[in-house]
Amino acid sequence: MKRYFSFLWQCGRISFVGGWRYHTWMTVLTILSLIGLYAYCQQLVHGLVTTGMTDQVSWGLYIANFTFLVGMAAAAAMLVIPVYVYRNMQLYDVVVFGELLAVSVIIMCLMFVTVDLGRPDRFLHMLQRFNFPISMLTWDVLALTGYLLLNLHICGYLIYCSYCGREPSKAFYIPFVFIAIVWAISIHTVTAFLYVGLGGRPFWNSAIIAPRFLASAFAAGPAFIILTLQIVRRYTRHRVNDDSLLTLRRIVQVAMIINAFLLGCEVFTEFYTDSAHSASAHYLFLGLHGRSGLVPWIWTAIVFNLVATVLFVLPASRALRTLNIACILAVLGIWIEKGMGLIIPAFVPTPLGEIVEYVPTAHEIMVCVGIWAFGLLLYTVFVRISVPVLAGELTHEKRYGEPARRVQGVQSS
Amino acid sequence: MPRYGFVIDLKRCYGCYSCQVACKAANHTPQGIDWARCVPTETGKFPAALRQMVPLICQQCAEPACMTVCPTGATTQDENGIVHVDKDLCMGCKSCIMACPYGARQTVDEWQAYFPDAEGDMDPYESYAKARWEEKNGYGMATKCDYCMDRVKEGRQPACVESCPAKARHFGDLEDPEDEVSILIRRERGFQLNPEFGTDPSCYYLPPR
Repeated sequence: MKRYFSFLWQCGRISFVGGWRYHTWMTVLTILSLIGLYAYCQQLVHGLVTTGMTDQVSWGLYIANFTFLVGMAAAAAMLVIPVYVYRNMQLYDVVVFGELLAVSVIIMCLMFVTVDLGRPDRFLHMLQRFNFPISMLTWDVLALTGYLLLNLHICGYLIYCSYCGREPSKAFYIPFVFIAIVWAISIHTVTAFLYVGLGGRPFWNSAIIAPRFLASAFAAGPAFIILTLQIVRRYTRHRVNDDSLLTLRRIVQVAMIINAFLLGCEVFTEFYTDSAHSASAHYLFLGLHGRSGLVPWIWTAIVFNLVATVLFVLPASRALRTLNIACILAVLGIWIEKGMGLIIPAFVPTPLGEIVEYVPTAHEIMVCVGIWAFGLLLYTVFVRISVPVLAGELTHEKRYGEPARRVQGVQSS
Repeated sequence: MPRYGFVIDLKRCYGCYSCQVACKAANHTPQGIDWARCVPTETGKFPAALRQMVPLICQQCAEPACMTVCPTGATTQDENGIVHVDKDLCMGCKSCIMACPYGARQTVDEWQAYFPDAEGDMDPYESYAKARWEEKNGYGMATKCDYCMDRVKEGRQPACVESCPAKARHFGDLEDPEDEVSILIRRERGFQLNPEFGTDPSCYYLPPR
C-alpha cells in the first residue's frame, strides 16, 4: 500500500517536471481550461440560455463533440486487437498510449454530457432512479463508466507493475483486455442507438449510423494516436519504431475507405429516393429554403476526408510527413462530419417543419475549448508519466533504493 | 378510468390564436414557450393553394416516445393517459425533446420579462406569473402541456377549449363511446397526426373541407 502511494506521489511529481516546451504547453492548456471553467460558471448561473441552443435545436456543439469523442475512445480497441488477438507485437509498446487516450477522452465525454444538462445539480437522479433497460441514456452511462474503469484498471496496472519492476500477472489484466475490446465496440454502438432510437428524427433513423460511427471512430482514433506517437518519439527518449506507425497507417487506411463507402451509401439513399424524410440531408448538403449554415462545413469535411483517404492509400503516406498531414485532415474531417454534420441537421427541419438554424455562442465555444484543453492536459500528463515509467527510467527501486521482488523483464523495453 | 383526449376540427379553426393566448394565461408560460400552438401551413401552388391552420398541443400519446427515453423516470403517464413531468426528478438531458415527434416539449432557462420598466423590474402581474411558473415548473427541465388537469379536476374544460371562439376544440373521454369526442371521431373520420410513429396519440383531428 505504501508503495502504491509512493507511485501516486511520483506520478504527481513527474507531471510537473519537463522542458520549457512542456511547461509552455501545459500553461496554455491550463489557461484555456480555466477560461472554459469561467464560461461554464456563467452557464450555471444563467442556465442554457447562454448557449445557442433553442427548443428546436436542443442538442448542439456539446453533444456533437461528445459523439466524436466517444469514437476516439472506442478507437483504443484498434490498438488492442492487433496486439492481444493477432499477436502483432510491434504495437505492444504503444498500446498503452491508446488506452490512456481512451481514459482521458471518456473523461472529456462525461464532461461534455454534464455541461449539456439543464439541471446538472440533479445528475444524481440518474443513479437514484435508473430507468434502466428502457432508456438508452442509462445504457450509455453504464457503457461509458464501465469503459473508463476498464481502461483505468488496465493501464494503471501495467504502469504500476512497471514502476515496481515486476512482470504484470496475466490473470490480472488479460481478461479485462478482452472485455474492453467488446466494450469499446459497444460504447459507440450504444451512443449510435441513442440517436437511432428517436422516431421523430428521420435523419437518424438509419441502420447504417452505428457502422458509420465505428468506421469513422477507427479512422480518427488511430490517426490521433499516430500524431501523438510522432510527438512522443520526437521529444522523448521513448522508442517508437516506424513499423508500429505503419501498422496504424494500414488500420486508418482501411477504416477511411470503409467510412467513405458508407457515406456514399447514405448519400445515395437520401438523395435518390428524395422522400420528405431527406429534407435534413438536403439541409446538410445543399441547404433548404435558402438556409445553408452547415453546407460549407460538411463540404470542407468531405474534401478533408477524401483527400485524407487518397493520401492514406497512396504509397506517399509511408513518408511520415505526408502521414501527419493525412492524419490531421482525417481527424478534422471526421470531427466535423461526426459532430456538427451528424447532430445538427437532425433538428432542421423540425418534425413540425420549422427551420431554425443553430449558431453556437461564444460561451459555448469557450466551454468546448476548455474541455478540449482539459482533456489534452490530462492526456499529456498521462503520457508524461507513462513514458519514463514504461521505459524503466522511473521505478520504485531507482527512486528509493529498495530492491523489487522480481526484477527480471521490465515489460516495455 | 377515462382516457382524456382532444378533437380539433380543422375546418372550423380559422387561426385566431385564442388557444395560444389562453394557454399562456392559464399556465403562466414564459416568453417563447407555447404549449398550445397554432401553426399556419401552406400547400399547393397558386390557383389551388390552401392555407390551413394546424393547432398543436401535446398529443398525450398512449405509447409516449418521451417516456421510454427518460433516464431518470421523471416522465410518467397517469391512469387517464396524461403524460406528466416530475419537476423534482427531471435533470434536463433533453432526450425527451429529441424523441417527441410533435415538438410538444420545451425547456425554459431563464424568465425573460415581457414589459420590464426602466429598472428592469416586472409589473405585479408578471411577477405573479413568474412565481406561479417557478412553483409549478421551474427552469432547466422539460415542460409540457398536461391538458390543464388542475382545471379538469375542478370540472372545467382546458383553457384552450373554453376560449376557442369557433368551437373547433373538443375535450372529452375517448374510452366512452357516447362522449362528444368519440362521436365526432366516428362521424367525421377523425385522424391522428403522424400515426406512423406508432405512438397512438390521444389528440384527433377532423379533416379540413
